[in-house]
Amino acid sequence: MVKEDLVKRSPLRALERSIHGGLGPGHIGVLASRKGVGKTACLVHIAADRLLQGRPVIHVSYSARVDYIINWYEDIFKEITGRRESPEAAEFLEEVIRHRVIMNFKQDGARTEQVLKSIEAMIKDGRFEAQTLIVDGYDFGLARPEDLSKFREFAGRLGIEFWFSASLRGEDPLYDDAGVPRLLAPFLGEVSVLITLHDEGGHVRLKLVKDRDFPPGELNLKLDPRTLLLAEA
Amino acid sequence: MKTDIARMRNIGISAHIDSGKTTLTERILFYCKKIRRMHEVKGKDGVGATMDSMELERERGITISSAATHVVWAEHDINIIDTPGHVDFTIEVERSLRVLDGAVLVLCAVGGVQSQTITVDRQLKRYDVPRLAFVNKLDRVGANPVKVRDQMAERLGLNAVLLQLPIGLEDDHRGVIDLVSMKALIFEGRDGETALEAPIPEHLLAEARRRREEMLDAVSLFSDELTAAVLEGKETEDMIRRAVRRGTVSRRLVPVLMGSAYKNKGVQPLLDAVVAYLPDPSEVENVALDLDREGARVVLRADDDAPAVALAFKLEDGPYGQLTYVRVYQGRLHKGLELLNTRSRQKVRIGRLGRMHAESMEDIEEAGSGDIVTLFGIECQSGDTFVRPGLDLTMTSIHVPDPVVSLAVESTDRRSSDNLGKALSRFTKEDPTFKSYVDGESGQTIIQGMGELHLDVYIERIKREYRTEVRTGRPQVAYRESISRPAEFDYTHKKQTGGAGQFGRVMGTLEPLPEGMYEFVNEVRGGRIPREFIPACDKGFRSALKKGRLIGFPIVGVKVRLADGQAHAVDSSDIAFQAAAQGAFWQAYERAGALALEPVMRVSVESPSEYAGAVFASINQRRGVIVSSVEDGTFSRVDADVPLGEMFGYATVLRSLTQGKAGFTMEFLKYSRVPAFLSEKLIAEFREKKSGQTDRKADKER
Repeated sequence: MVKEDLVKRSPLRALERSIHGGLGPGHIGVLASRKGVGKTACLVHIAADRLLQGRPVIHVSYSARVDYIINWYEDIFKEITGRRESPEAAEFLEEVIRHRVIMNFKQDGARTEQVLKSIEAMIKDGRFEAQTLIVDGYDFGLARPEDLSKFREFAGRLGIEFWFSASLRGEDPLYDDAGVPRLLAPFLGEVSVLITLHDEGGHVRLKLVKDRDFPPGELNLKLDPRTLLLAEA
Repeated sequence: MKTDIARMRNIGISAHIDSGKTTLTERILFYCKKIRRMHEVKGKDGVGATMDSMELERERGITISSAATHVVWAEHDINIIDTPGHVDFTIEVERSLRVLDGAVLVLCAVGGVQSQTITVDRQLKRYDVPRLAFVNKLDRVGANPVKVRDQMAERLGLNAVLLQLPIGLEDDHRGVIDLVSMKALIFEGRDGETALEAPIPEHLLAEARRRREEMLDAVSLFSDELTAAVLEGKETEDMIRRAVRRGTVSRRLVPVLMGSAYKNKGVQPLLDAVVAYLPDPSEVENVALDLDREGARVVLRADDDAPAVALAFKLEDGPYGQLTYVRVYQGRLHKGLELLNTRSRQKVRIGRLGRMHAESMEDIEEAGSGDIVTLFGIECQSGDTFVRPGLDLTMTSIHVPDPVVSLAVESTDRRSSDNLGKALSRFTKEDPTFKSYVDGESGQTIIQGMGELHLDVYIERIKREYRTEVRTGRPQVAYRESISRPAEFDYTHKKQTGGAGQFGRVMGTLEPLPEGMYEFVNEVRGGRIPREFIPACDKGFRSALKKGRLIGFPIVGVKVRLADGQAHAVDSSDIAFQAAAQGAFWQAYERAGALALEPVMRVSVESPSEYAGAVFASINQRRGVIVSSVEDGTFSRVDADVPLGEMFGYATVLRSLTQGKAGFTMEFLKYSRVPAFLSEKLIAEFREKKSGQTDRKADKER
């Protein structure tokens, strides 16, 4: 009951409306910003929303340690459920977490083929039928466009969606005139939805830069710096 | 004999099976012993000592069998603490890691970092133990110590720094280059007892210089003095050693040494490194919990003049009778000292103190802070804390997890039955997670522990140490029962069969208590149940919890609110209210949504990445929930929560799935509700067993 309510009222419904019904199977979405602006928080919120709907999620991480990611989820869930501490809330968290698997890789240690092979093994051999994969900490600076096209081909073949984060670094300007991060320009062909995050003194604003072939519309979303949850602007 | 704390080391030698831990330990004992003896002989008659070969042979056979062995090296007292060989997490491993101040992590120069190395290292990390690495078996074909160092950095995330380089590998292995002193050490003599210093061989000089640069880069992070000196090219050996020590003690650096214990190479420099780089007891923070202040943390002072605090970490039956190994954390112990056991609340007096050497025991008068010694004839359990009366501290958290698996054991004849009894009484004292009892219904002896492997270890020890053959049943899961919703009770116990009658009435509710075992709340007002009968009610409820009526296992997670009741001036008694409480409990139990719980284990499987799919599938087939999977290049570790009942025989399955290349560990995590299909099966089995018993009883009566 409460769960359905949380899902219905979620700010992610607004995101889905803005990007024409959500990301969907076979597509790659990217959230890009400088470090420390809130990409991981957004990704975990997207994952949490899927988990609340009873849909399994694989959280692929290239950097953070597993316990650190687990804490992220616990914090976000506490915020979503309104910091209620009760046996029901604990049971609820436990049930939700059954649908989440964390997979941790080292980008220099594992080739894309090997990573995808392991993910496929999790989905098929482990019978963990995730349709949403979160990929955090992937270094686009080390990646080649071929790598991302392998992810996209994989997404199409297995009917899953990938949400990536991309950390932008280096000197300004980070973005070209169209607002596309220069780091991501070579990968743009593989990316269906691209959202950038901008720290605007006190709050973080989300901007839709690419929405498949549609002209990117307004994205009425912000990241609340206190709760680290997405909210409608 | 009082020892200087700065010259004391408590170390463990951590390694997995086959990396040469036993051989290395033997060599350490041998070299320490030999040096000590040479000193003694020289002292007594001024003649240099050489041992005859017979004696050498005999000493070769020394194996470390006691929990802590005392040796002397370079005027330092070193206690070598035996760390149990099995990597399964048990209280025993925890205890031994707890009393260490530092460890030598032994790795095989060929195999490098293997899955069990990761587990051992994780345990050391969990207890914040500073460590040295010793890359052993340089004489083996395929030995590559530099590769092993790289693996330590990659797979264990350690800042591993080479302090030595090999001189020759495989058959040509002759010694090591010390990158601190930039000298070669060649080991000669039949037993490698002569370490000759020599210039670095010409062909290795360039590499030695390069590796020294690398070492200085890594080490100078820990010393500004060294950084400045390196810039001017004026670094000294002492400066480097001080910096390595600082990095090691703060657990930010792991010095890597190497050799071949089997070929007697590299062991003496390893001992020098133990002395030079691992912390003395005063450099390690130890914390106790103050029972007078709700378990507040108290940092102990490694100060001989402070009131004594010691931990009994191991009990042993040996040729000297019952020995208790204790580590002194604060103050000192001496003969005649009175101590309080803060668990049993009993006071004991120290009659005899001893120190264990490789093959003898030495009586000592006193032991100071940091030392590890043995007490004789002290009644206690492993894990007990002893303090000077007046203090009330405990070194371990009181919570001992309940055993999750049980096994029926049966001796094959009368003599072995006696031995079995002896063995079980000893093991249960040593390890609080290991329990044994005789089942009232079947008359069988049941042992209980934290996992299949845990019980296997004890069965093996019964066979080996007590030379007793036992037959074992199939492992059984320790299920629990609990309730899922509140239910009210109103029960009157009334008996009127001549003589004094019995009367008691209790009213109230049963409620689920998710995080606890049992709680009793008395809300009776106005003396409706006279105060003297309230404990009897509590007792009655407790006795009902011992065996549930759903599947016949103990009941946990129940809160009883006793709200009201009724008593009779003549017929009410303790017994009557106990019976009333029991009756009330069973009256409400089914309505309170009785359900079955099963133990769930946190399982970690480590395997080469190519088997990840097989591992995922094997966990899925066992009703497991995969929490995470971590891959670094060629290796993967999967953490999953799996019901214990599904884990029996997993070791064999995993071996065949991965050609023996994977390993796993598990520890108890929590109790969870069993799924419906299993619950129905357990309920049916319990009913069948019960009706069988009733039939037998009826037969007997007929």
